[in-house]
Amino acid sequence: MEKIKDFFKTFLLIELLKGMALTGRYMFARKITVQFPDEKTPQSFRFRGLHAQRRYENGEERCIGCKLCEAVCPAMAIKIAVAEREDGTRRTTQYDIDLTKCIFCGFCEESCPVDAIVETRVFEYHGEKRGDLYYTKPMLLAVGDKHEAQIAKDRLADSKYR
Amino acid sequence: MINIEIDGKLVETQRGSTVMDAAHKAGVYIPHFCYHKKLSISANCRMCLVEVEKAPKPLPACATPAADGMKVHTHSEMAVKAQKGVMEFLLINHPLDCPICDQGGECQLQDVAMGYGGNASRYTEEKRVVEPKQIGELISTNEMSRCIQCTRCVRFGQEIAGLMELGMANRSEHAQIMSFVNSSVDSELSGNMIDLCPVGALTSKPFRYTARSWELSRRKSVSPHDSVGANLAVHTKDNKVVRVVAAENEEVNECWISDKDRFSYEGLNSAERLTRPMIKQGGQWIEVEWAAALEYVANGVNQLRRSAGSDQIAALATPNSTFEELYLLQKLMRGIGSGNVDFRLRQSDFSADGKQDGAPWLGMPVAELNTRDRFLIVGSFLRKDHPLLAQRIRQAVKLGAQANIMHASDDDLLMTVTNKAIVAPADLPGVLAQVLKALSIEKQAAVPAEVADVTVGTEAAAIAASLASGKDGAVLLGNFAQQHPEAVQIALLAEQIAVLAGAKFGYLGGAANSVGGYLAGAVPFGGAVQGMSAAAMLAKPRKAYILLNVEPELDMADPQAAMKAMNSADMVVCLSAFKHTGMDYADVMLPIAPFTETSGTFINTEGRAQSFKGAVKPLGDARPAWKVLRVLGNLLDVPGFDFDTSEAVRDEAGIAGNLSNHIEGLALKGAAVTPAGLQRVADVPIYAADALVRRATALQKTHDAATPVAMLHSSELQKLGLNSGDAVRVTQGGVSVQLTAAANDGLAAGTVRVAAGHPATATLGAMFGTITVERA
Repeated sequence: MEKIKDFFKTFLLIELLKGMALTGRYMFARKITVQFPDEKTPQSFRFRGLHAQRRYENGEERCIGCKLCEAVCPAMAIKIAVAEREDGTRRTTQYDIDLTKCIFCGFCEESCPVDAIVETRVFEYHGEKRGDLYYTKPMLLAVGDKHEAQIAKDRLADSKYR
Repeated sequence: MINIEIDGKLVETQRGSTVMDAAHKAGVYIPHFCYHKKLSISANCRMCLVEVEKAPKPLPACATPAADGMKVHTHSEMAVKAQKGVMEFLLINHPLDCPICDQGGECQLQDVAMGYGGNASRYTEEKRVVEPKQIGELISTNEMSRCIQCTRCVRFGQEIAGLMELGMANRSEHAQIMSFVNSSVDSELSGNMIDLCPVGALTSKPFRYTARSWELSRRKSVSPHDSVGANLAVHTKDNKVVRVVAAENEEVNECWISDKDRFSYEGLNSAERLTRPMIKQGGQWIEVEWAAALEYVANGVNQLRRSAGSDQIAALATPNSTFEELYLLQKLMRGIGSGNVDFRLRQSDFSADGKQDGAPWLGMPVAELNTRDRFLIVGSFLRKDHPLLAQRIRQAVKLGAQANIMHASDDDLLMTVTNKAIVAPADLPGVLAQVLKALSIEKQAAVPAEVADVTVGTEAAAIAASLASGKDGAVLLGNFAQQHPEAVQIALLAEQIAVLAGAKFGYLGGAANSVGGYLAGAVPFGGAVQGMSAAAMLAKPRKAYILLNVEPELDMADPQAAMKAMNSADMVVCLSAFKHTGMDYADVMLPIAPFTETSGTFINTEGRAQSFKGAVKPLGDARPAWKVLRVLGNLLDVPGFDFDTSEAVRDEAGIAGNLSNHIEGLALKGAAVTPAGLQRVADVPIYAADALVRRATALQKTHDAATPVAMLHSSELQKLGLNSGDAVRVTQGGVSVQLTAAANDGLAAGTVRVAAGHPATATLGAMFGTITVERA
């Protein structure tokens, strides 16, 4: 009995028409394709994109070289060297993130006791050579300086959930 | 024995022990800060509060004596509430910024707070701030606000180091750990306070902010410095040693190490490290490949063997070399037909060579020092030469042992000294003879003929009486006695005294391998080929010298003679980890690996062989010395040089040698004549003792590493018309150096104390002998 039903459905193009009907519906529906880069998808304030190193308002870098991010990084993408600065505080002399290794899990940001290393909303960075994606401390600080306003706003938005 | 129950576990423990001891036995952990098994109980941190049944309030486990039938709960509601409360109080004034702190990750307070503390702080008021204090070059107090006043460091100073250099001033919130006004912490054991501090208040200054604890690889090792053979944990990062801490070995170093052991690692990363083999050609040093350098040495040695004879080749090694290195060096030398090999560089009396029954040693296990009840310590800068042995003797003295000192300098040993005889170096055998006579009379034994006509002084009589009254004594000869020109006479007398007193007789070994050198056969006697001792090699200069780790002007008994011999030699081969003055007279510099970069064995003063492996790779082109010597053996066609590992070398050498302090076939001599003029008393300052510590930067900034001065008794200064602080010209062996005069009333009359082993005095003559001092 079933076999006969199936035969008539195929023979009378019912299945085809069903499929075409769906196509036809979408043809007239509102489009959701984003025209990147003219359009962009909305982002969460928890978006995990390019890393940045932050500074305090007085220009002092936040990072205290505790190396927790280096220890927690599951991809071992972070390399830190520290030394005592003249004022007796520990500061990084080297803070590198290899973005080709990074899996953007956000653990570094999570572990940071002073909110120094953060992940920004920037995701369309690129490099022409492999080495371009090896971010050093000055590069990370520059990212931070550029996006500080947005970074601060995002941390504030997230703070009530913490 | 009594039975007590902890968390339902029945434990048998000794009467008089505490609940904490019983808990350790039961394997139950009770959180604590101020409690330390080697220190007295102070019960001031209150972290170890536990519930004891029938007690109305929680009791501190560290200070509560265990009683029969006691039932203890460490995790009951009452105990947990008490522990949580104490933790909260401790954290009131403790900064909660572990990521900044250097102790973070290895902090007892952090760990215990994780296990027993709350999850957030309720305290919002101001925290107290403590100003950092400057207490020296080794310990950093930059984070003094982190102190929780457990007073472990204070108790360590009082009880173990023997001197209270840190104390707690003021009360309650104002209580602070501080040193005396403008004083630094100068104890030679001070670094242990860093290990003891359960928080980040006392941290290591040289290590500060170089690494986090979780980044470090830990490797076991053995101290290459003094003769205790302290067990070390070498912490490395990126193939570099970044710090050294104590490893526990109850029978050797307990849980302490000296500052020399702890901070000498800085020398390993010194800029003076030799990293490439070098040959001097036409007065210029050129870097070459290993093969070229070794071939150069082999050719030179072969040429000299043909032209001048093997006897013209001599080898010197420091007693800080490993057993394997010393064994291969002597095997190489004997293989090419020369017996001129020695490691006893600072010794000057070699008349007992071949007459000694075995390798001179401590005469007992190190741990047995704690159980002695009488000590006679002859010729030893005890605290500086043997910080850890001094600590053990200090503990014995605290338990009622009597320490008798016989020396040329009355240094503060930080322990109660019952009797002391402070005499000029030349009079040491004389005073020992007096003690022997007095003791013979005391014990109603026959007085040996050689000492029959000495007049017994009051000091000697008192020492004899003290020794006679004891049961388990020890007669110990220090470095000074071993380096003495009459060392054998001193040893013979001391042995007889020990026999009469029923005491153990031993040598406080000079360096890490003082026993190992004998067992390896790195001495000119006893082997297949006999040769010359270290002193004879210099007295009759040889044409070629092979120096293993040696810096002749700093490591030898007579630097003048040593330098003369080196400068006149045709060929000097330096196997060294460092560039040193050898660059002036040597022909080949071969970079060898220091102890962290090679495997080897040190045999400590009690004859305990402790092997260790390398912690990091050799720096640059440096190679372990045993490999260098092995290849040299191959190049010189010496049979039996096919070792693949240092263990194979050790197994062939055989570490189970005979240990004995008995000297056979030498008689006591009568009293010697005291020479006219001032006698030199030469100590080797603690941080000048070997090549590695001499390059440890932090140690070199301490008071113990200050430039040597000419110390005289104030009456001697007066005789010379000098004042303390005057510039003086010190002359010995025709060479003068300018030093500052200083008064030291602990010195015997007729002596001048001028340290050896320091560049400032390296041009002077032998460590013993007459010396003149005049106004500069």
